[in-house]
Amino acid sequence: MSVSFPEIYEQVKAQLGKTRRIPFGVINRRDVERFAFAVDDPNPLFFDDAFARAHGYSSAIAPPLYLSSVLGWESGPPQNSLAPDGNPRGDETALPLGGLRVMGGGQELEFHRPVTAGMEVVIEFSVSNVELKQGRSGPLLVIQLQKKFLTKDGALLVTCRENAVAR
Amino acid sequence: MNARQLCFEDVAVGTAITPLIKRPTTVQLFRFSAMTWNSHKIHFDKPYAQSEGYPDILVQSHLHGSFLVQAVMDWAGPAGRLVGFRWQNRAIGIPGDTLTCTGKVVKTELRDGLGYVECELEERNQKNELCVPAWARVQLPLRAERSK
Repeated sequence: MSVSFPEIYEQVKAQLGKTRRIPFGVINRRDVERFAFAVDDPNPLFFDDAFARAHGYSSAIAPPLYLSSVLGWESGPPQNSLAPDGNPRGDETALPLGGLRVMGGGQELEFHRPVTAGMEVVIEFSVSNVELKQGRSGPLLVIQLQKKFLTKDGALLVTCRENAVAR
Repeated sequence: MNARQLCFEDVAVGTAITPLIKRPTTVQLFRFSAMTWNSHKIHFDKPYAQSEGYPDILVQSHLHGSFLVQAVMDWAGPAGRLVGFRWQNRAIGIPGDTLTCTGKVVKTELRDGLGYVECELEERNQKNELCVPAWARVQLPLRAERSK
């Protein structure tokens, strides 16, 4: 596929300063516990309400990386819209990337409030910077993304910043 | 889990985090992909991962991160609060690897009556290659407060 990096760069740049709100949904206790089981982290703070209350929480909490690890917040995408590598064709961020591949490589997180089952969460997604660079194997875009996870009443839960490399 | 709660007064710059060893398996990677709705074949389809030049399916970026979070939370105890965390994926992890998470305190700070420590963390594989450097900021209870 031939893609025009300068063109995509301009399209991503046009997103700077815009915030999109994406509904995450209600934090489901089973999902949070499954995440902890998948990590194989048996910390009782994630499973035991009484234990969590004894340590200052209102109930069992989600593992800290739960919110920022979940890649898709909706039911789909349907199978026929997946790319051959299994990724959604429309990236989760819905950035106009023209089919470029995005690799995650880490995140920077601030935890403002504990995340507990029953909370209704929304994500405020924005692009804070984009740079067009020349890598060893060709051009690439380095995109700084910011996701703020809030309750539907606006209480900030987690701030997540990451650099996505699109090539 | 810690039977005894770590307190701010217990740590100083240089104090080591209790090491945590993780051995990811194909089943663990499958369940983590399923849980995070991550259908990228690089995490469950070995021939596909090999076609991308890797020896096996890859441990997910956030699973590496979660191992280091587990290490720091186990060390900090249930009354500790993780308030900040960042990590970078440098080298790959694959099923069968032995990934050792270690760390040490690099800063302590009393602010507004609360005790905070900052830790530099590392996840290394059995060949001692650095897979993930990370950093965490943790609030620890003050012994003085707990004994009141």
